[in-house]
Amino acid sequence: MTTVTKSAIGFLPRAGFQQLIDLLAEDGRTVIGPTVADGAIVYGEVRAVSDLPKGIGAEQKPGSYRLVEHGDERLFAYAVGPTSWKRFVFPPTLETREARRDEDGHVSFARVAHEIPKLAFLGVRACELAALGIEDRVFLGGPYTDEDYRARRSGALIVAVQCAEPASTCFCTSMGTGPGIRDGHDLSLIELDDGFIVTAGSPAGSAIFDRLDLAEASTDQLGDASDQLVAARQRIGDPVVTAGLHDRLLAQLDNPHWAEVAERCLSCTNCTMSCPTCFCTSVGQRSDLDGHVAVTERRWDSCFTKGFSAVALGGNFRPRVQDRYRQWLTHKFATWIDQFGTSGCVGCGRCIAWCPAGIDVREELNRIAPPPQIPAKPKAPEGQAPITRVFRVEAARQETHDTVTLALTRPEGMDWEKEHGEFVMASVPAVGSVPISISRRLPTGMELTIRAVGPATTILTGLAHGAEVGLSAPLGHGWPIEAAEDHDIVIVGGGMGLPPLRPIVDEIVAHRARYGEVHIYHGARTPGDLLYTSELAAWAARGDLDVGVTVDRADEHWLGRVGIVTHLFDHARWDGSRAIAFVCGPERMIQATVSTLASHGITPDRIFISMERHMECGVGLCGHCQMGPYFVCKDGPVFSLAQLGDVFGREGI
Amino acid sequence: MARASTTPRPRLGVVKLASCDGCQLMLLNLEDELLAIADRIDIVEFPEATTHRSSGPYDVVLVEGAVSTPEQLEQIHEVRREAKLLVTIGACATAGGIQAMRNWRDHDAFRAAVYAHPEYIESLATAQPVADYVKVDAELRGCPINAGQLLELVTALLTGRRPDLPDEAVCAACKRAGRVCVMVSQGIPCLGPVTMTGCGALCPGFDRGCYGCFGPRESANVDSLSRGFVHMGRTPSEAGRLFAGFTGYAEPFRGLITELGGVPGTTPVPRATAAPEGAAGHAAPTPAGSPAQAGGQR
Repeated sequence: MTTVTKSAIGFLPRAGFQQLIDLLAEDGRTVIGPTVADGAIVYGEVRAVSDLPKGIGAEQKPGSYRLVEHGDERLFAYAVGPTSWKRFVFPPTLETREARRDEDGHVSFARVAHEIPKLAFLGVRACELAALGIEDRVFLGGPYTDEDYRARRSGALIVAVQCAEPASTCFCTSMGTGPGIRDGHDLSLIELDDGFIVTAGSPAGSAIFDRLDLAEASTDQLGDASDQLVAARQRIGDPVVTAGLHDRLLAQLDNPHWAEVAERCLSCTNCTMSCPTCFCTSVGQRSDLDGHVAVTERRWDSCFTKGFSAVALGGNFRPRVQDRYRQWLTHKFATWIDQFGTSGCVGCGRCIAWCPAGIDVREELNRIAPPPQIPAKPKAPEGQAPITRVFRVEAARQETHDTVTLALTRPEGMDWEKEHGEFVMASVPAVGSVPISISRRLPTGMELTIRAVGPATTILTGLAHGAEVGLSAPLGHGWPIEAAEDHDIVIVGGGMGLPPLRPIVDEIVAHRARYGEVHIYHGARTPGDLLYTSELAAWAARGDLDVGVTVDRADEHWLGRVGIVTHLFDHARWDGSRAIAFVCGPERMIQATVSTLASHGITPDRIFISMERHMECGVGLCGHCQMGPYFVCKDGPVFSLAQLGDVFGREGI
Repeated sequence: MARASTTPRPRLGVVKLASCDGCQLMLLNLEDELLAIADRIDIVEFPEATTHRSSGPYDVVLVEGAVSTPEQLEQIHEVRREAKLLVTIGACATAGGIQAMRNWRDHDAFRAAVYAHPEYIESLATAQPVADYVKVDAELRGCPINAGQLLELVTALLTGRRPDLPDEAVCAACKRAGRVCVMVSQGIPCLGPVTMTGCGALCPGFDRGCYGCFGPRESANVDSLSRGFVHMGRTPSEAGRLFAGFTGYAEPFRGLITELGGVPGTTPVPRATAAPEGAAGHAAPTPAGSPAQAGGQR
C-alpha cells in the first residue's frame, strides 16, 4: 500500500478532533458518544473533546466493571460499557397508541407520532454495528415493521471507532462481528497515538469526510492501525466455538445444567436490558380516571420476568428460572438464527460484565466454532405497522354463562377477501388488547366467541348491538384446510378450543363432497360449558358428519358421555391412515389427543394443532409468544406436529 | 364499548394499623388528581385527611400498617368483613415493616426495657403483615408507597381494568432509566435483583444500593445474591443483615436472615423485677421466636 488517495483514506490529527464533533453537530444534530458518568463510560451528549473519556478505560470481568486511568491522550481506549445504542433507536419506553372512547361509546385509535431527534452516534464499535444490523432484521425485515425504529435508525449518523482495547469479557471474534469495522457506518475512525485514520462508508459520511482538514495517511500509520487490530484480535482470542452451536444447543434442552445455572441466576433482567439486540417489549395502559383517553406505552421487557410468559387464568409457560435462562440462551444462540438468519449475539460481553451474579455466557456454552457470517444488511421492504380498525357489533349471542359470540361488521373500504388470518387482536381502550380466534368468517365480517376471563374479555363479552370494538386485521396462519381435500378429517376441540375450529366445519358443510369421512369431537368441563349446542345438534342431524360430545363432570340432566375428549374416539373404528386432524384446546388436552390420534395411525405431518402463548403485539415484534424457533402469533398459531418437533409438549418452553 | 357510567360512586376507606402514616399521606400527595378522585370516589374514612369518621361497608379499603396489637387484630378482621376489596399499602401492611424485626427477638424483654410500666402495654409478640390474618386482594409495596402506583390502582379501579403493577426486579426499571449498576461498577451491595419494582429505582439513581423497601419479587434468588455479597467481601452475617430492613420479615428474605444469623442489635437484658401477673404479652396466633415458621405465604 504505497499510494493512498486522500479521497479514500485520510488522517485527522488529534488536535483536529473538535472539527469532527462540530461538523457532526452542524445541521442541528445532537452528538451522542462516550462520556464518564456514575463510575462507567456511558453514551451521553458530547459537545467538546473534553466530554470524551480522555485517557480512561475500564477493567471488566464477569460481574465487575471498574474505570482505570491509562494516563494517555487516547479518547476511545475502552471496551463497550453499560449503554448500548439500542436505547437511541428503540427507546426503553415509548407511547405507541392513543385510544379514545366518547360518551356515546364510540371508540377510536390513533398511532402516537414522535418527533425523532437528529442524532449522530460517535464511537460505535464493530460489535455494535452488527447489533444494529441484527435489530434491522428484527424490526424491519418481516411483514410487519416498527416504523418508529425505522425513523430513528435511518435518521442517525454513525461514526464508528475501531476497538483497540478489548475487555476480558469480549468475544466478538467468535461471533464474527469484530473487532475490525467492515460496514454499516457513515464514517469510520481508527485511533492511533497522534490522531485518527478516517474513511467514509456512505454518501453522508463522504460529505463530512470531504470537509475535514485531513492529512494523507502515511504507510506507517496504516501499518500501526493494522498492527493494533491484530493485537486486539489476539487479545480476545476465540473463546466460543460457534460451529454447530445451533444444533448442539437445541439437542441439550433436557440438560441438568439449566437447573444449575438457575441456582446462580438472579433473573434480574440485567443481561437482556444491557444486550444490544434483545428486543422484547410489553405494553401497559395509562388512562385518565374515566378511561376516556388511554395511552398505550411500550416498554422493554425481558424473558427473565415471570409476567412475560404469563397467560390468562394464572397460567405460565416458563414458571421456573431455568426455563427462562434456557429460553434466553437457546434463542440468542440458536433459534434466533432460524428466525432472522443470524445469531442474536454479537459477542460484546455486556451480559457477562453486567450480570450481578457474574454468570459468563461463554462458560455456559460448552463448545465452540467458527462464526456464522452475517449476510449483508437486509433490504427492509416498506412494511406496515398493524392497524386497529373499528368493527361494529351486529349481534351478541350468549353461548354459556361466561361465553358470548359477537357477530361483527367490518368497516367500509376493507378489502376483506385479501384479509386472511386466524385471529385478531381486540383492543379495549384503557384496558388492553387480547388475541381472539375468529370463530366464523362472514362476507360482512366475522364472529368471535369470547370467554370472560379477564378485564378486557369481560368488557368484550358485555358488548351489545351497535357497540364499537377495535380489531386488528386478521393475523397469523390458520388451518390448512386445503390440505384436507379428498382426506378424512378429525376435528377435536376442547372447551374454548372449539371456536377456532368452527370455520373448518363451515368450510366442510359448504363443500361437503370435497372431503371424506368427517369426525367432530367436542369436550367441555360441564354440560353448561358446551359451546354451539344447537349447531352441534344440526351437524349431527345431517347424517354425513360424525359428531361426538362429552363433559368432564355431568349434572343431573346430562344423559350423554362423561370423560375426557379422547374417550370419544380412543376405541373408534375409523382408520387414520387417510385422515388429517385439526386439534385445539388446553395444552394438556392437545397432548392427550395427539397421542390417541397417533395410535390411530395419523402421522405428525397430518396433525395440526393451535398453540397458546402470551401474545401482546400479534405481529412478531414484542417477543412474548416465542416457542422454540417460532413466534406463535406470526408463524402460527396453527402448526403441524412435525413442524414443532420436540418443542411440542416440553415443559417450560 | 359503552359501559354504564351511572353506577354509584365507590366507597373508599383508609385504615391505619401500626405504621407511620406516610403511606396514606401519599393519597394526599396526589395533588393534581386529588380533586378529580374525590369527585369519583366517596372517601368515607380517612383519618389523616378528615376527622369525619364513618364505618363500612367499603367498596375498597386501603390498609396501612402491620398487625401489632390485639386491638389491631380485631380491627383487621372487622375491616375485612366490611370491605369488598382490601388493599394493603406499604411495607408495614405487606411485609410487617421495621417493627417486625422484633419477631426475631424476645418481645417481653424489649417491652420491659423500653417502658416504665410495661404492664400497660398491650401488644402481640410479633408484628405481622395483614395477609397473615385475612385475605388481601391487592397490595401496593414500598416504604412509602409510590404515588404513581397508587394513582394507577385508583384509575384501574375506576376503569375496570387490572392495575399495571409489574412483579419484575428493580433492575429492569433501573436499566430502562439508563442507570449504571452500582453493584457491578462500584461494588455497592444492592437488593435490586431480588426486590420488586415500583419505586422507579430511586436509590441506585443516587449511587446507593437498593435496600429492598418494596420487598421480595417473585423468584427472588436471595441465596445467590447473598453469596455475591460475601464474594464482595461481606461476612455471611453482614450479608444477611443487608436484607433485614423494612421488608425483612417477608419470605424469602426472612429465611435467609434467620439462616445467616438474624437481625442486627441485641436483645436487652430483662429487668430484675418480673412483670405483674396477667400483663404478659398476648400470644400471637402464629408462634414468635421462630420467624422461619411464622406468618403466611409471601
